[in-house]
Amino acid sequence: MQDRATLNGDTAEKNGNPQQKIQYGKLFRRFILLTVVCSLVPLLLVGWGINIHYTRFAKSRLINSLQTQLADHRKIVELFLLERTSRLSLIAQTHSRDYLSSMLNLDTVFEILNRQDGSYTDLGVIDAGGRHLAYIGPYDLMDKNYKNEFWFKKVMEKGIFISDMFMGFRKVPHFIIAVLRIEKEKKWILRATIDTKVFSSLVESVQVGKSGEILLLNRQGVFQAAPRFSGEIMGKAPFPVGEIQKGVRIYVSESITNEKTQRFPRQIIAQTWLAEPRWLLMIRQDYAEALNEVNHANKVTLIFLHLSALVILIATIVVTHHMIAVIKKRDLEMDYLNRQFMQASKLASIGELSAGVAHEINNPLAIILTERQILLDVAGQLSDLNPDFKIQFLDSMEQIDSQIQRCKRITHNLLRFSRRTHSVIETVDINEFIGEVVELMEREARTSGIKFFTDLEENLPVLRSDPSQLQQVLLNMITNAMDAHDGTSYGNIRIHTRSDKNKEGVNIGISDSGLGIAPENLAKIFDPFFTTKAVGKGTGLGLSICYSIIKRLGGNISVKSEAGEGTEFTMFLPFEPPLELKESIMTKTKGEMP
Amino acid sequence: MKETQILLVDDEVIFTRNLSKLLEVRGYEVTIANDGKSALRAFGEKKFDVVVLDLKMPGMDGIATLEEIKQLGLFTETLILTGHGSSGTKAKADQLGAYAYLNKPCDLDDLLDMIEMASKKKHYTEKLDDLGKMIR
Repeated sequence: MQDRATLNGDTAEKNGNPQQKIQYGKLFRRFILLTVVCSLVPLLLVGWGINIHYTRFAKSRLINSLQTQLADHRKIVELFLLERTSRLSLIAQTHSRDYLSSMLNLDTVFEILNRQDGSYTDLGVIDAGGRHLAYIGPYDLMDKNYKNEFWFKKVMEKGIFISDMFMGFRKVPHFIIAVLRIEKEKKWILRATIDTKVFSSLVESVQVGKSGEILLLNRQGVFQAAPRFSGEIMGKAPFPVGEIQKGVRIYVSESITNEKTQRFPRQIIAQTWLAEPRWLLMIRQDYAEALNEVNHANKVTLIFLHLSALVILIATIVVTHHMIAVIKKRDLEMDYLNRQFMQASKLASIGELSAGVAHEINNPLAIILTERQILLDVAGQLSDLNPDFKIQFLDSMEQIDSQIQRCKRITHNLLRFSRRTHSVIETVDINEFIGEVVELMEREARTSGIKFFTDLEENLPVLRSDPSQLQQVLLNMITNAMDAHDGTSYGNIRIHTRSDKNKEGVNIGISDSGLGIAPENLAKIFDPFFTTKAVGKGTGLGLSICYSIIKRLGGNISVKSEAGEGTEFTMFLPFEPPLELKESIMTKTKGEMP
Repeated sequence: MKETQILLVDDEVIFTRNLSKLLEVRGYEVTIANDGKSALRAFGEKKFDVVVLDLKMPGMDGIATLEEIKQLGLFTETLILTGHGSSGTKAKADQLGAYAYLNKPCDLDDLLDMIEMASKKKHYTEKLDDLGKMIR
């Protein structure tokens, strides 16, 4: 892992700390939530509203259409039966029994009846005893006696009778219409069988969608016409027909599975009872099919709705992402400025404090120094001093002096740190300059086994900067680099120069193969008084002085370090000093030379 | 030769006492003033070859005192010896014609060297002036 600490804010803050990341995550989610709530919820509400409204509208239209269809069919069936009955009635009322009892006459009548649509299968004249007086038709029924048949009794009672479908003597499903005529107090019956095919076609030929059908059932739930799907003529319906009710009833039956493993899905049913005979006319259609169009429209609407929602969501995410990035950048800039400001004000206040402390300490130091000198003077005049004491005395005096010198170094460093020293701008050939400094240091470094390597870009433009301050910085950096090899008997210090990308200055890199800086210390190394050196070995001011000098000269300084691998300091120095520095020098010069 | 006359101006009483002791042992005649006003008064009584002047003092500070001394128009050289050195005051002192600028704590030998040199300078300047007067 490589850590990087910068005080010029170029990379260290970019990754942000985990706390900040969480905050941005929270912000991101909150933005998304807000946008989604404000845009998607109304969209979905409107969408769903329209959907519900449309479904309701479509259902009512479906019901209307079913009602109309049912009414139409009822009319057709009723008219068919009424017409057949009326014709028979007319014939019975207008022709005498004797006339019709003649096979020839009956045949003529039969032919006239069937001339229109051939819906009569046969025609018979039956006396009150149930015997055929005459019969025209495909079956041999002349000798049959109907006295005990159910319809015979009914017609004798009611005068007109339309039967349900039945098998009868001919063993084929059929139904009959019979009319009673009382002629000179003698009863006779004109009876006709209606062609099952013609009648059935009224119902069977009707198609209601793919799954729909029209059913005609009697009160016992027996099919009076062959349905398309649900069974066969004379078959029993797989569902109960219920009670006779007036008017049209429309309902939805849930899906049912009966014993014959026939499965009826959910269906919409419209039904009505005919007046005479009491048959149930029913239109049934798969619910899903009936509402197919609605469902399709709904599906399209829903897909469109969700696609819109998705587009909004994606757009929201993209926009929010962008916004967060902008905010993050702004924060980083703020953070950077804050740090700069903090560092500057920290340096300023520490500078003031240290200058004060240094001044206050210098005076007592001066006194101690004079006291020491007085003691030495006095001791020098005394000839009869104990030799042991004299040795100890001189040793102590030496020690006092060296400690005073140490204090002096500290206070002078403090003062140098705080002092806005008088800058001088001169032309500096940075490569030559580095060469001189390295030569100076090499002598000292050789004893500790440290080698210098320089990699200097040729033909670098000259800098306009303060050479004495630059020297102070370079010496400090190199001393630090050498100190980083403490405990090892060899090491490398590499110094390189490269002109800046924008050709505005030069980058100077000083890297060592030393101990490196612990990650937790990286951010603190430019702070005044921060040191990892042993007590008395370092004041912790070196790098902060370097930092303030480089800043004043318009440059930057940053550090990369890997614990155990080494450290690299990179300094940027502009070819031209910053305007403020030039101006401050100008005003000072003016002040000095009135 | 006449003893070199030194005026020691510093508000640190112990320091002035000690330094005067050390200088007297080394053959200088020292007058002590613990503030600017008494330093100027001392000029009314004596002539000094070298003034050793502190900068930060209560009341009249070192720079103001130096200005006043210069206005007296006497032959005397001033050494600034201060624990409060800064580039600003150094520039100001240079401008006012201080002979040297020393930071406290200063080695006695360095101070003595400076005093010697300042005293010589004062001596020669005076002589030069006398010669000039004679020529005129």
